[in-house]
Amino acid sequence: MRPISWVLAGVTLVAFIAMYLPVLVVALLSFFWVRRGVVQWESFSFDAFAALAANADLTGVLTNSILIAAAASLLSVAVAAILALLVASRMPRAVVALVEFMVFLPFVLPPIVTGLSLLIAFREVGLARGLAAVTVGHVVVVLAVVYSTIINRLRALSPTLVAASADLGANGWQTFRFVVLPQMSSALVAAGVLAFALSLDETVVTLFLVGDSSTLPIRLYSLMRVGISAEVNALATLVIGFTTVVAIFAGRALLQHNPHEGNNA
Amino acid sequence: MSGRFSGATLAKSALAVAILGVLIVLPLAVFLAHSFYRMEDREIVRAFSFANYAELASNPAYRSVFVQTLWLALQVTFINTVVGWIVARAMWRRRQRLHFALILAVAVPLLLSYVIKIYAVRMFLGVNGLLNSTLTSLGIIDEPLGFLLFNMAAVRITLCVVLLPYSILPIFLTLERVPSRLVQAAEDLGASATQVFWTVLFPLALPGTAMATTLTFVFAAGDFLIPELVGGPNGFTLGRLIFTQFGLAYNWPFGAALAVLLVVVTLTAVVLGQRLAQPRWQRQNA
Repeated sequence: MRPISWVLAGVTLVAFIAMYLPVLVVALLSFFWVRRGVVQWESFSFDAFAALAANADLTGVLTNSILIAAAASLLSVAVAAILALLVASRMPRAVVALVEFMVFLPFVLPPIVTGLSLLIAFREVGLARGLAAVTVGHVVVVLAVVYSTIINRLRALSPTLVAASADLGANGWQTFRFVVLPQMSSALVAAGVLAFALSLDETVVTLFLVGDSSTLPIRLYSLMRVGISAEVNALATLVIGFTTVVAIFAGRALLQHNPHEGNNA
Repeated sequence: MSGRFSGATLAKSALAVAILGVLIVLPLAVFLAHSFYRMEDREIVRAFSFANYAELASNPAYRSVFVQTLWLALQVTFINTVVGWIVARAMWRRRQRLHFALILAVAVPLLLSYVIKIYAVRMFLGVNGLLNSTLTSLGIIDEPLGFLLFNMAAVRITLCVVLLPYSILPIFLTLERVPSRLVQAAEDLGASATQVFWTVLFPLALPGTAMATTLTFVFAAGDFLIPELVGGPNGFTLGRLIFTQFGLAYNWPFGAALAVLLVVVTLTAVVLGQRLAQPRWQRQNA
């Protein structure tokens, strides 16, 4: 290998170490004690996890996060599906461009801008800070991703199917219910899962809108400001494990679907 | 297309625009309007003026935070684009099984909770963190290095680490779409690895590079959680300054004006990114 190749391989290695080592250290520290830079291997215990489970406060916060994520994913899929169906139903090109510009605005702007503009607007209309405000905020944040998932599926649908349905005497509702909806259902589910995951982790917009309530990322944020504890390590480890498992399954599913969808296109 | 639309089309268009107008455009408009108001006795005075913007332009403290933030974002963008390219190039053209594992290896840190990533890097860098205790116990240093945390360098390091997947992935995904016959043709014609890179791979993967730089820059310029959690008193950025106006400083109109500045920076970066994604020779063909 030439020297330059060694340098490039070294940079790649360092990049992966930088992405993984801190996270692995957190996971390690939730099981073991470290004294003077040496991991005390005999100190293995689940104490941190037991303390976490006993913490009723964190359970309540987790419930908030899951409720918000569920509500925000249902709402955002509903709004995005309506928008996508409207856009797909032969709207003037200028209106489509305008609609897509507006949908993607919160995606392009820094989340801090979305957060504070919703904060100001909610105060103008008298919507108090709290879980409802956070839910609306999450709908705005995830709408672009959800919309593009659904519209991509609708655009991939063959127009001949709709024409055939009309030829066979189906009315608009029947065509939607029996031809379009079954074809877009998996995209709706995928978009919903995506929205759920994004909402669960949303921190910046939530911080502006949450008021006196809390969600999991907000509680982690405030715990971090106070300091580092074994409980936080345990919680972080659970989130890391959960994300990894979800990523592996999602990756498998996507890769298995790809060739099939490639044939359809 | 004729200029006449049916009533149904008009109603559908109006509905779509109305939904998004209420949900997205109206809050942004209200926010923009607030940037022209001012604060008096902790009350918002709704009188239109450019006072906030004048303050921004004239006060050297704000100017220096602004310049500092831009410089920070540019540094992070440059470092991560270079590293992103190196990693993406190393991942490219691997066997099928390894290929999936590599994508996953970048996707997991990408999907991981944002706050937890910051937490992990902070723990790693801190005075009681693993890096310091390892170095101390190995006898490389006597005292823990205090300069690793709560300053601008810590903000820079954390931003680079947290944002790295956002530059690797777009570059790698466009590299993958470069037709392998083009690379083979260049190799058959005797091009060296360096020549293949600069004349085939790099120009064809420009859209991914543009995506990576735009994402990284916009994120780094607007973020406030990382400076807030690892920056200490010295790592002050525009995002943090904005956040302060909505908390302790309690000056929403001034915070809004600062955020308008951030929006202008962001949109400029997005437009520049799109121009980079479509180099001139492609624009002329279109």
